[in-house]
Amino acid sequence: MDIYDVLLRDFPFLLKGLGVAIVLLVALLIIGFVLGLAICLLQLYGPKTRLVQWPLKLYERVFRGIPIIIMLFIFYYGMSGIFEISAFGAAVLAMGLRSAAYQSQIFRSAFQSVPSGQMMAARAMGMSKMVAIRQIIFPQAAIHAIGPWTNEFSSEIKETSLAYVIGVVELTRQAHYIITSTQGNVLTVFAVVALLYFVLNRVGNSLLYAYERKLAVPGFGK
Amino acid sequence: MKAIRKSLLPALMGTMVLGGCLTTTAFAQESYTVGVEASFPPWAYVEGGDFKGIAIDAMEAIADEMGIEIEFQDMPFPSLIPALAAEKIDILATGLTVTEERSRNIDFTIPWWETNDVVLVPEDSELNVFSAVCCGARVGVQGGSSQQAWMEENVVNTTDIDVELAKYDNYVTAVDDMGVGRISSVIVDDTSAQEYINAGKPVKMAGKIFIRAPLALAVTKDDPQGILGDLNKGILAIYESGEWEEIVHEYIPDVSVPTIPGHMPDFVDTYQKPVAGLPEHGNE
Repeated sequence: MDIYDVLLRDFPFLLKGLGVAIVLLVALLIIGFVLGLAICLLQLYGPKTRLVQWPLKLYERVFRGIPIIIMLFIFYYGMSGIFEISAFGAAVLAMGLRSAAYQSQIFRSAFQSVPSGQMMAARAMGMSKMVAIRQIIFPQAAIHAIGPWTNEFSSEIKETSLAYVIGVVELTRQAHYIITSTQGNVLTVFAVVALLYFVLNRVGNSLLYAYERKLAVPGFGK
Repeated sequence: MKAIRKSLLPALMGTMVLGGCLTTTAFAQESYTVGVEASFPPWAYVEGGDFKGIAIDAMEAIADEMGIEIEFQDMPFPSLIPALAAEKIDILATGLTVTEERSRNIDFTIPWWETNDVVLVPEDSELNVFSAVCCGARVGVQGGSSQQAWMEENVVNTTDIDVELAKYDNYVTAVDDMGVGRISSVIVDDTSAQEYINAGKPVKMAGKIFIRAPLALAVTKDDPQGILGDLNKGILAIYESGEWEEIVHEYIPDVSVPTIPGHMPDFVDTYQKPVAGLPEHGNE
């Protein structure tokens, strides 16, 4: 059986691996989005006391400053004394929490790109802080956030491949199976895998850009 | 307003995902998780979506013998021993070499195989076992493997032979890297080496290093599940019934199968007499 037959036969398993990667990606991006947005809002509009701000800063610094592979090991092996966690769960948690730290900074820059006068004007018109954020600041910040957010999306897709070190059988690991059971063909197999990652990346980014165009207001921000 | 409502949905989903990850697994032992490195033919690999290999088939035979359910979990080799130590897996079944350092962290079953190491060089190379591992050579080994430990103990750290170890995730990439010329030789066990040569890789054996390394299964230190004795009995049972030889010959035809239990090194505490499950065996 030559390598192309093997690839054809095992293609469903590569797709299964891609599926695992996508579920991992979506889960970690959701955790990152929710937590990241919360961190950003608290940093910008929350109480300015050290009690609130320092832990947020510490969280963001720690998760941005430690290699993800070490986080994966810490969450999978280190936490096992505290609670039982599956390899997939550990990967979602480690990568999601890290993504939250990154996304908080994406959102921070987007919110800060809205001129501060708008907040003052909204408050002067009698809007509460929450209402002003929701109705005035957020819609403008969202447009600015999508561009940098495509970066986060793209890099997280590729980082999902690291989850194999704790036993999550995703696309890269499936590729390893083919390579080792056929004793080689590294170039061919990884070329196919690279193509799969690339297509996923392109599709995701195209959707995000389309969303960006949809949100765009003619004449605004130009 | 619309935008914020939309963001509530992901928030809910996020909590659900988080909750899902943290649910504890059932406490009752329904089946045992067997950790394997599935990129290590002929011991364990995946072909067409199924686990295959000597360790896989033998483990299934032993599980039948013991009357337990097992489930395979694949992990890269360097993660397997930590996973066993952290009780993420219950049994480790791969071409696992018995070493003194490992025996401090995990408990070995009786040896079921014996390997020697081989120095692999490219087919057209004129290096011999001595010239391949000296004089500024870069030598490939699998990270965390017994070959790496042996090289560090006997060559790199104890002699002034100028050798640099290149550590790989698995041996297939090491052998490919040698083909490209990034390293001049690869040190690997003889079973795997034969596998590469049979697969038509352009490599040959420059020579053997006779270390008589036993391979075995392993469980978490101090055997919290109490399965070491049954595993030992199972290994001996499939050996005596001839099933073991059949399995081995399916993957490596014509190889002479070492007797079980083979040589049990003194430094392994689980090899002190009486060995769990097999009280008549063991070192005095």
